[in-house]
Amino acid sequence: MSETKPKKTTGRVNSFKIIQAIISVLFLAFLSWRLYNVISSGVYGPDTWVRFAISGLIIGSVYAVIAIGYTLVYGILFMINFAHGELMMIGAFSGYFVFEALKSIPVAATGMSFLDSYQIISVVLAFIVGMFMAALSGYFLEKIAYRPLRGAPRLIPLISAIGASIFLQNAAQVTFGPQRRTYTNPDALLRSQGWRIPIGGEEVILTYTGVLTFVLSILLLIGLYTLVMRTRYGRSMRAVAENKQTAALMGINVDRIISNTFIISGALGGAAGVMWGIHNGIIYHFVGFIPGIKAFTAAVLGGIGNIPGAMVGGLLLGIVESLGPAALGIDFQLKDVIAFSILVLILIFRPSGIVGEVLTEEKV
Amino acid sequence: MKDLIKQGLRLGSIFGVVIIFLILFGLTSTLSDILGEFVNLESRTRTGNPGGLMILFALLSLWAGSSASASDRSNWKSALVSGVSVSLIIGLFVAAFILLVGFLDSADVEMRDYLAQLDHLSVQFLLYGRSLIAGVLITFGIFLIFGILGALLAYWYEAKQAGEVIQKQVLVLKEKALDSKLAKQYKENPRSKWIGYGLLGLVVFITPQFLGKYWNYAMGTVGIYVLMGLGLNIVVGLAGLLDLGYVAFFAIGAYTAGLLTAPAPLPLQIGFWPVLIFSIVMAAFAGILLGIPVLRMRGDYLAIVTLGFGEIIRVLIRSDMLAPYVGGPQGIRDIAGPSLFGIAFSGKAYLYLIIIAILLIILFTNYLQNSKVGRAWMAMREDETVAQAMGINTLYYKLMAFATGAAFAGLGGALFAARNQYTGPADHTLMVSINVLSLLIVGGMGSIPGVIVGAFVLKGLPEILRELDLYRLLVFGGLLVFMMIIRPEGIWPAPRRRMELHEGELDVLPPEESLVGKEG
Repeated sequence: MSETKPKKTTGRVNSFKIIQAIISVLFLAFLSWRLYNVISSGVYGPDTWVRFAISGLIIGSVYAVIAIGYTLVYGILFMINFAHGELMMIGAFSGYFVFEALKSIPVAATGMSFLDSYQIISVVLAFIVGMFMAALSGYFLEKIAYRPLRGAPRLIPLISAIGASIFLQNAAQVTFGPQRRTYTNPDALLRSQGWRIPIGGEEVILTYTGVLTFVLSILLLIGLYTLVMRTRYGRSMRAVAENKQTAALMGINVDRIISNTFIISGALGGAAGVMWGIHNGIIYHFVGFIPGIKAFTAAVLGGIGNIPGAMVGGLLLGIVESLGPAALGIDFQLKDVIAFSILVLILIFRPSGIVGEVLTEEKV
Repeated sequence: MKDLIKQGLRLGSIFGVVIIFLILFGLTSTLSDILGEFVNLESRTRTGNPGGLMILFALLSLWAGSSASASDRSNWKSALVSGVSVSLIIGLFVAAFILLVGFLDSADVEMRDYLAQLDHLSVQFLLYGRSLIAGVLITFGIFLIFGILGALLAYWYEAKQAGEVIQKQVLVLKEKALDSKLAKQYKENPRSKWIGYGLLGLVVFITPQFLGKYWNYAMGTVGIYVLMGLGLNIVVGLAGLLDLGYVAFFAIGAYTAGLLTAPAPLPLQIGFWPVLIFSIVMAAFAGILLGIPVLRMRGDYLAIVTLGFGEIIRVLIRSDMLAPYVGGPQGIRDIAGPSLFGIAFSGKAYLYLIIIAILLIILFTNYLQNSKVGRAWMAMREDETVAQAMGINTLYYKLMAFATGAAFAGLGGALFAARNQYTGPADHTLMVSINVLSLLIVGGMGSIPGVIVGAFVLKGLPEILRELDLYRLLVFGGLLVFMMIIRPEGIWPAPRRRMELHEGELDVLPPEESLVGKEG
């Protein structure tokens, strides 16, 4: 397995690099010219920029949490878990059902429903159930769709993952119905409510749901980082990621580590789903798909297999996506174009991501 | 004994959960309808056929019972034990679920708001139109009786060795058929291959005459997917470049044809035939354009970048910004259909047009595959570094694969747009790429007949199974996973690929055992 890539020093490749450099310089020049124009024209006041940045940070933190799920699985199995977005969808639906169920339980002491009487407990419960259900699905997903394919050529598990993704989406559609559902948040987390911050004579609302999402994401990321980098268990995970055979020889139960990786990544996806529901409010069977792809973009952006990289990539992608259309003065419909263009550009000019991937050349 | 019970419980719970999901998906009503029709039972409720449901449950429990007793069929006692344990558990799972649902229903809870398949009528159907207790008991009884019966039947089957006898007979028949005079003649005669192709061609050309309007349309769709499959086959199957944004080229072909022939949004209205050529060229050009930056990317990244490219194209054609030029969300209407000597192609004639296009493309692909280019692609797929060392200009051949694949998709897109006389963003979603890739996988990567089989399975079969329309994609997704597990090389694989996938661990095998010299 120790193949070494030949050094590419032919004239063709060099001219390739020069062309790339010229194109990138031209592109950057165009971008800065455009940005200067938009800012100097004063279409958007400072409050608008802050609003965009805040919403970008919040959505970026959700991307980061999903991206970590991708990165963990990719780091260990070198496969894109295409169905990861669907785990997020399962989490979102589970949280929704918890809120609906709690809302229908009346509490005599307060005269309100359980959801509004014990709000913190309700939210915690929604997260626990959402994470649990998504983790369970992740566990079975690996067991049914991926484990029998271990050692097969890389295209095979990818197709299996695509199949699992289509299956889960449509299972949710026929089970729950195709309609969009609105999350019923507890009173304190109404989506319009928040702290008002005066900026440049205008007020910017920092919603409670947004703050909850952001803080929780950061906590999850820190917790996961500690788990992987500071604990004995994390060390065995990293060992499996490095080399499965050697890890097995060191007495690590590789199968269990892989299972648990899927459980952890599923739980993160589930948490992201509940956050998505609470913050964005609308869920349906397809809700996990686009965030899933975006989060993968984020993972690649930061350098796949790299946990801090996924965080940075997620936050960056969120900010660029929400500031980008405004900064370039283009339609907001095109924010996906910006996100994917960044992905393409990053992969062309810096394939190992911003932070750098942990993978060695040998494994890919 | 303990192991038997444990295994029975495990299998039983799997079956139980699966059956509960079948109920949640609403598949029980559909399946019971099909089964009920099959044995001519009168349907009594709107949501399904209660008799059919009983048969479905009975069949499922027979299956569960027989597979539970598979581990130990040495005596009837162990078969009975595993049968009882598995059927008890399934019965408990399903009966408890139905009891819960029935109870909620009788307490007037609107489950339909949350679980789309469970309303009052379907709960009544699950209870066979009887009272709560009676319905639950019947279900439990069916599972218990038929589960045990299944286990005992399997034991009896094994004891009589009936299975082996039948298998032997089948084998003998197979050998006889292979040894028969006709088969020998066919094998030995070098012209037989061409006779076979001729017959096939005849069938292909006659069939559209017997198809109605609907089937003509459906077969046209299958044909267009065959075209795209053949194109992606070159990119993924031969050159080994995983492209998940293949729909982009399809969209470029369709939109080029649409924009140049339709009266709006651009008033050009050029005729169909020059535009067809132009769409192919445009798509190939886009293929090269995408190819240049992504050439040196490795597998997974390439997949994601192409996926991103496909999404960019879709978002762009949908956007309001480009709406004055490409029609926006409404798409392009009144695209001109082709006509020759004053006769417009439509219906059957159009299907023939598609068939001719497919035949041309097949000939072209076949030629490429067996030429220097094809060999270079395959060498690249097997090992890029080695291919480079052998003096193959990988950049050039990769670009060529991209361009050729894109050109085929462009042709498919142009034909698609001209047939529907409309194209819009909804025709060019990621699902198209995934469908094409899946038909390639299901049919067999790198094999031309495989692509055709795959297109029929993935696009033709759902047309036949109209009753299962709601579950089409659900079944499709499950099928993909299942297929990857049991037959990853596809239904009609290319010989080389079949060997690759059945080789086991590459590292373990000695070099003589590898691909060299195995191909017949």
